[in-house]
Amino acid sequence: MDERFTLTGPRTPLPPPPVKRPWHEGKPVAAMVTLAVIVLGCLGCELFIPKDPAYMDLFRPSEAPGPAFWFGSDPMGRDIFSMIWYGGRVSLLIGFLSAGISTALAALFGTVSGLAPRRLDELLMRLTEIFLSIPSLLLIVLLQAVLGKAGVVSLSVVIGVTGWTGMAKVVRAEVRRLRESEYVLAARCMGAGFFHVLRRHLAPNFFSSIMFMAVMSIRSAIAAESTLSFMGLGLPLEVVSWGSMLSLAEKALLSGAWWIILIPGAFLVVTLLCVTSIGSWLRGEGNDQGSNL
Amino acid sequence: MDDILLDVQDLTHCFRLGRNRTLRVLDGVSFQLRRGEIFGLVGESGSGKSTAAKCIMNILRPTAGKIRYLGVNTCDPGQFRSHRKLLQTSRQIIFQDSTSSLNPRMTVAEIIAEPMAIHRILPSRGSLRAEAAFQLKCVGMDPGCLDKRPPELSGGQRQRTAIARALSMSPELLVADEPIASLDVSIQAQIINLFKHLQAEHGFTFLFIAHDLSVVRYLCDRVGVLFRGRLVEMGPAKEVFSHPLHPYTQALLSAVPIPDPRRERARQLLDLDEVPFDREGTLAEAFPGHFVLRKEGTA
Repeated sequence: MDERFTLTGPRTPLPPPPVKRPWHEGKPVAAMVTLAVIVLGCLGCELFIPKDPAYMDLFRPSEAPGPAFWFGSDPMGRDIFSMIWYGGRVSLLIGFLSAGISTALAALFGTVSGLAPRRLDELLMRLTEIFLSIPSLLLIVLLQAVLGKAGVVSLSVVIGVTGWTGMAKVVRAEVRRLRESEYVLAARCMGAGFFHVLRRHLAPNFFSSIMFMAVMSIRSAIAAESTLSFMGLGLPLEVVSWGSMLSLAEKALLSGAWWIILIPGAFLVVTLLCVTSIGSWLRGEGNDQGSNL
Repeated sequence: MDDILLDVQDLTHCFRLGRNRTLRVLDGVSFQLRRGEIFGLVGESGSGKSTAAKCIMNILRPTAGKIRYLGVNTCDPGQFRSHRKLLQTSRQIIFQDSTSSLNPRMTVAEIIAEPMAIHRILPSRGSLRAEAAFQLKCVGMDPGCLDKRPPELSGGQRQRTAIARALSMSPELLVADEPIASLDVSIQAQIINLFKHLQAEHGFTFLFIAHDLSVVRYLCDRVGVLFRGRLVEMGPAKEVFSHPLHPYTQALLSAVPIPDPRRERARQLLDLDEVPFDREGTLAEAFPGHFVLRKEGTA
C-alpha cells in the first residue's frame, strides 16, 4: 500500500475557536464604578474628609472653592466637601431603606391580592387605585405631619409607604399568572403555607419583573428626599443630606454662590443616573434568565 | 374491611359556568382502592379523570359525595384540618406536565427535598441533600443532576424528578394524573417500568390515570372506565380487557390498534360519537369483582 496516503475517515472539523468575550460586555461599567466610588466614599468618609461636616466656621461663610474649602463653604461656614460625603450617607440610606420598605409592601400586598378570591382582589385593587390617585406629595406631607418630627427613619418610612402601589400591581399580575401553575398546586398539596409558597415559588419568579422597579424606587426615594428637604418639609437643616444641602439654594442663588447648589446637585444627578443605568441593565438581565437557550 | 385505603362514594363535581349554568363533570362516581393495588382510571378527554384526581387530593372540593381516606372524610374541612399532617404527607400527586409542575428556579435537590422541608421532617440520611440524592438514584437518575434546574433536564428526567419528589415522603397513596401523556413513547415505557418497579418495592397504593389503554392493561391490577363523568365499568384489568361488558368499554377497546396487520385490517372501529351509550342505571356486579353500569331490571 502506498505509504504516502493513509485513510483516516471523514475529516473531523476543528472545534471553533473559543470566542473570548470581554467580561464587561453589555455591562454598565462606568455607572457601576462611579456608584461604587460614591457609595464607598460615603460609607468610609471618616477616613478622608478633612473637616467636621457640622463645624461652622462663622468667619468664612460662602467661600468659593479653594485650598481651604475644596468645594467651597456654605452660608454657615461648613465645608461642602465634607458635607457631600457625610450627607450622601443619609441620602443613600433613605434611598435603600425606603426602596426596601416599598418593595416588601408591594410584594406582600400584591401576593395577597393575587392569591385572594375575586371579590377581595377587586377590593384590594380598588384601594390601591384610590391610594394611587392621591398626589404622593400630599400623602407624604400628611403622613409626615402624623408622624411628627422628621428623622431619617421616619422619612424613609413615609417615602416607602407612599411608593409601593405601582409595584404591587405588577406583583399581583405576576402572581395571578403563577398561581395557576402546577408547582404552586403541588406545593399546596404537600401542605405548604402562604409564606413558603411566597418565598420559594412566587418571589423568585416575580422578582425579575419587579427588579427594575425596585432599583428605580431607590432613585425616586433619593429624589423625593431631596425634593422634600428642598421645600423644607424633609430633614431639618442640621441633619446633613444632599437634599438639605440643596435647601440652602435660594440663599445661594441670590448671593451668586454657585458651588452651594451645583456641587451637591451634580452628585445627586450622577448617582441617580448611575442607578438608572444599572436598573435598566438589570431589566434586560432578568428577562434572559429562566429561558431554555 | 380494613384493607380499603381510599373509599370514594358518589363523588359528584360541578363546575360553574357563568351565572346559572353548571357543568357536571363527575356524576356519582364510586370506587374503592385496596391497599397496595394499582387502580387504573381510563376514559376519553373530558370524562372527568383529572377532576376525580383533584377531588381526591383536596385541590377541588366535590359538590357532593364522600371521600374517605384511612377512615378520614377528607371532604369535611374540620376533619381535614385535624388530620392535615397525615393527609398531606401520606398522599402525593404527580401531574401530567412536568414542565409546569416543577419550579424552573429551583434546583433538583431543592425540589425533591421540598416536602421534607415543608413538614420539617428530619432526613433519615443525614441531610436533605443526601436524601434527595438517594431518591434521585431510586428513580434512576444520575446524582450529577442535583444542582441542575428543570429547564436543563429532558422531559423524562423532569418526570422522574417529579416522581422522586412524590416518593420522598414514602406515601401510602400515590395519584398520578396522566404522568406519561407528555412523554414520547420510548420514555413512556421507561417510566411505566419505573412505576411498576417502585410500586413493587415501596408497596404504595397507586391511582393511575391514563387514556392509553395498553399501558393500563400492562400496569394495573384493576381498572375503572369513566364515560362523561360516570363510572360505566370496573373490574380486574384482565377481565375488563378480555370481556368488556359495557358498550362504551367495547367501543373504547375497539380503538386499540392490534400489532398484526391482518387482524388490524379486519378490525371494526366503533364510532364513539354516533353510538348512544347508556349512562343511566346503577353499577351491578356481573361477575365476582367485575361491575358494569346497568339499568335496573335488565340482565
